[in-house]
Amino acid sequence: MKLSRLRRYPLLPIAVLLAILFIPALFAEWLAPHDPYQSHLRNRLQPPVFWGGTWDFVLGTDRLGRCVLSRIMHGAQYALAISAVGIFVGAAIGTLLGLVAGYARGWTDIVVMRLVDISLALPSILLALAFAAAWGPSFEAVIIVVAFVLWAYFARQIRAEVLSIRERDFVARARVAGGSHARIVLLHILPNVVNTVVVMATLQVGVVILLEAALSFLGIGVPRPTPAWGLLVADGRWLVVSAWWISFFPGVAILLAVLSVNLLGDWLRDRLDPELIEV
Amino acid sequence: MRRFLAIRFLQALVALLAITLIVFGLTHLTGSPVDALLPDDASQAQIESLIRHWGLDRPLHEQYLAFLGNALQGDLGVSLKWRGYTAMEVVLQRLPATLKLGGLSVLLSIVVAIPLGVVAARHRGTMVDKSANVVALLGQSLPQFWLGIMLIWIFAVGLGWFPTSGQGGLPHMILPAIAMASFQVAALARLTRSAMLDSLRSEYVKLARLKGVPEYRIVWKHALRNAAIVPLTYFGLLAGSLLTGSVVIESVFSWPGTGLLSIEAIRGRDYPVVQAVVILFAVVFLLINYVVDALYALVDPRIRRA
Amino acid sequence: MNYARTSKLRVLLAVAGAALLAAAASAPVQAAGKVVLALDPPTADTNLFWNGTGERLPCFQALVGHDPITGKYNNSELAEEWSANEEFTEWTFRLKKNAEFHFGWGRVTAADVVHSYELTTGPDSTINSIEHLRAASVEALDDHTVVFRFETARTDYAFQHAGRGSMVVYSKAQFDKEGVDGYVSKPAGTAAYQYVERQPGAGVTFERVPDHWQGAVPDFEMLELRWIPEPATKLALLLAGEAHISDLPREIQADALAAGKAIVKSKNPAMSTGAIFNGMYGKTGDPAYRADLPWSDIRVREAMNRALNREEMIEILYGGRGEPVPSWLMDSRNEGYVPELKERFEGMYGYDPERARELLADAGYPDAFPDPTIPIVSSVLSGNPEFGTMAELLQVYFEAVGLQTEIREMDWATLGNLGRSREAYLISPVRNAPIRPTEAALVNFHTVRGTRYGGYESDMSEGLADKLEQTINPQERSRIAQEAFTYLFEQYADMPLAAVFAELTVDPTVVKDWTFPGVSTNSVSHYHLIAAAE
Repeated sequence: MKLSRLRRYPLLPIAVLLAILFIPALFAEWLAPHDPYQSHLRNRLQPPVFWGGTWDFVLGTDRLGRCVLSRIMHGAQYALAISAVGIFVGAAIGTLLGLVAGYARGWTDIVVMRLVDISLALPSILLALAFAAAWGPSFEAVIIVVAFVLWAYFARQIRAEVLSIRERDFVARARVAGGSHARIVLLHILPNVVNTVVVMATLQVGVVILLEAALSFLGIGVPRPTPAWGLLVADGRWLVVSAWWISFFPGVAILLAVLSVNLLGDWLRDRLDPELIEV
Repeated sequence: MRRFLAIRFLQALVALLAITLIVFGLTHLTGSPVDALLPDDASQAQIESLIRHWGLDRPLHEQYLAFLGNALQGDLGVSLKWRGYTAMEVVLQRLPATLKLGGLSVLLSIVVAIPLGVVAARHRGTMVDKSANVVALLGQSLPQFWLGIMLIWIFAVGLGWFPTSGQGGLPHMILPAIAMASFQVAALARLTRSAMLDSLRSEYVKLARLKGVPEYRIVWKHALRNAAIVPLTYFGLLAGSLLTGSVVIESVFSWPGTGLLSIEAIRGRDYPVVQAVVILFAVVFLLINYVVDALYALVDPRIRRA
Repeated sequence: MNYARTSKLRVLLAVAGAALLAAAASAPVQAAGKVVLALDPPTADTNLFWNGTGERLPCFQALVGHDPITGKYNNSELAEEWSANEEFTEWTFRLKKNAEFHFGWGRVTAADVVHSYELTTGPDSTINSIEHLRAASVEALDDHTVVFRFETARTDYAFQHAGRGSMVVYSKAQFDKEGVDGYVSKPAGTAAYQYVERQPGAGVTFERVPDHWQGAVPDFEMLELRWIPEPATKLALLLAGEAHISDLPREIQADALAAGKAIVKSKNPAMSTGAIFNGMYGKTGDPAYRADLPWSDIRVREAMNRALNREEMIEILYGGRGEPVPSWLMDSRNEGYVPELKERFEGMYGYDPERARELLADAGYPDAFPDPTIPIVSSVLSGNPEFGTMAELLQVYFEAVGLQTEIREMDWATLGNLGRSREAYLISPVRNAPIRPTEAALVNFHTVRGTRYGGYESDMSEGLADKLEQTINPQERSRIAQEAFTYLFEQYADMPLAAVFAELTVDPTVVKDWTFPGVSTNSVSHYHLIAAAE
């Protein structure tokens, strides 16, 4: 009975996410066998244990002799932090503007929607490049780029939903009852779009992890020697022939995390917001 | 209706104006082309003479107005890095490469995504559906540059089926197009699937079933024909992501399109070229949006009043 | 409605299919006898040499040539001979009479040299060392004699017209007929290879000149320079046999060697590497000087030097193929070489983390400094991915002795901008500084007039550089230069690492050898000496 109920949840994706992302992110300090920044120059480019290496460095070492496994574990913190903060900021701004635009309509709506157009019309990677060139790449810069890329999608989707919600009876009743605009938006409209926000936010985690990787490839991601996953893959990419493990394992971490979070997002969408068609 | 179109057009122009301001401001904030293009040991005199030559010593707002004035006449300035060409010439030289690659990648993603979506819808809720979903999502779960490098190693170096990189004929385009398409497959397959589900539930499909039309014909002909329009509308959105995706893919595959161009231009602080690329793509994006809005307004009169 | 939808889809498919066919039809045919070089894209992708950064296209020649083995000046290019007057204020170049431009633009004359000089020193020029090229006057004495006159003595003006100089010779006849557009579309040079075409953003192709005026017959009929920004892709090109020569980063050379490729290197060390203390604006009264920088304290500079295990670094960075050097500007082939510095090096700079920690404690590090962080520049953003390793390696050694560090990712323009406003308080790894003549090196890195982000500057270094510039007696010059190098050495003005050769990875089944001395801006030259296998 209980088992069949459990089956309705996407257990595998959740388990993978716990194993790859959440547990390492929270407990890397205890779990990681080595300091992720510590170089063991005598043990440079050691292969993983099953490829002729030793148990000391299970997944091998990179070109400065740092433990690949420890770096991936600590990297989970950055993957989580970047997506959580970046998406939160982007979703908050987008949702707020979407609510206001959809509810107030008129000029406010026009201005917000043109801002959305502007934001979508500017190629995000180019903007990130210019931004990094102007202020230098940093953890904060990556978060700002993430938030900038995402807010417009949230704003557009939420506005569209608010436009239809505001015509519904309970909103009209609340207005007749004399509720203030702020009260109506927060108490009556916001709860009706929360599901959409949650689903969209989940589906964006994968996008953000990959964006971090693309930024690192271009040299504008989180600055080294931070073990962010994308940077690990980008850094090891030349040595795919001889020391494939440097980029392969973080690449697998990214693959599994993004795939699982997308499957989880799909499941959430089916449960919470089946109408949402978002690309 | 005419009034709506005019107002909407004006709004698009204002948005474009704002974009020019943002791009101009941001590029000028990134530092001076003098620093990017002059060697270490350039003398003060050489620096100053070049700054004057390029008009970079004038106040920023004056530079912006001059830029805007010229831009209105279709002149986006001369490239500072690709000497001997105007910024527009440099961009237009590279645009066909990006469009070719983008076009092929869209085609590839259709070829893969539509059958996936159809099969998933046909077998809704079964293992087939789930597997199709995972397959579609796989391509979207890898860093694009890494996928690109893997493709090069496997198919160009290992098997020797395709050239590793560079511009040339169709063989040169296959690997970068796959790397690029892999990203679009998931979204396209999902759209196809949901459109197919609607279509399969429709009256005429039921009617066709009653008539005894074979199932494969119902799915692949009648239902798909009606479902296809939904994913097709998605291509408007693709145009915008074309440039973003091409920055990384073009670097990996040394594909001389606008993506590679824009990185080089930003590194070289070639303001006119950066501005030309961004403005060109912004114009295309705004134009598509404008057309879409106009079409919607045509269909649904209520929108016109909003 | 239904019909419309289907036809839309059909049209789309038809258009895409047609595009595919068109693309397939334009597939190129692989030419025989072609050598392909997979290289980093140049900073300035142009046929106009004076708008570039000194990387010379294979079709051009300058006045002064270089011996392919020793790298010494010789008359293998356009000038038959050259000389200076006794005061070194007048340099006369006599041109070869039979030198000929490509594509029938005629013989090279003095007018072409004067014309090229004017283009190169024009207002839009971005070429390096333009102030060193500029003369007070230039005059064509006759068809084959050009004289450059100066107000002050110029002891090494031939350098400006040689491999790392700032001028190559263009055809005036072509300019008069076609203008700059002619140079943009098909520039005539004088070298053994002539220009064929440029694919925007992708590369440039050259072909062997039929009946070259010097009788040079390169082994390869065609020469293609292909721009490949991604190092992993460069390696793939080489391994797939699509490129035959590549400037692979050293880190992946081993992978190429393992796959049967070979390394061809310059005949002489071509570059020196190390790290410099930027932002040491120490000339008296310089407002940009900051006494509170950690590395303004000589003890910290010594500690940073002693923190480096150079032997290990050379192993990691260059696979052991690098020669440790006591100074990254001093070179035994140039003026002012001080042999003793080599012996003193171990005692003063040798790897000694214990001593480094003592020195830091002595200097009161970190508490005595308002900002004890040592910022190390990395420049992956500029398209130099190998910077990352060097920056991280420096960081490892510095942190091991207790220094606090931070890697700052920035591209050249940002660094240049900081330098121009004299705010470049940074530690910069030097990956491949070309070895320069002594005077240029000292002025460039140790005076206010020099590079904008600056090396160690002080009254002493300024004074010695000034004195060197004003002196023409060779013995006297050598003594001044020696004094300068010894002074900088004792001040721990830099963190020298190694002299390295310019190395190219080649496919030995196609390319047997390439003899080049390592004396040009991008180190390679003498393209006509690329030797084919068998």
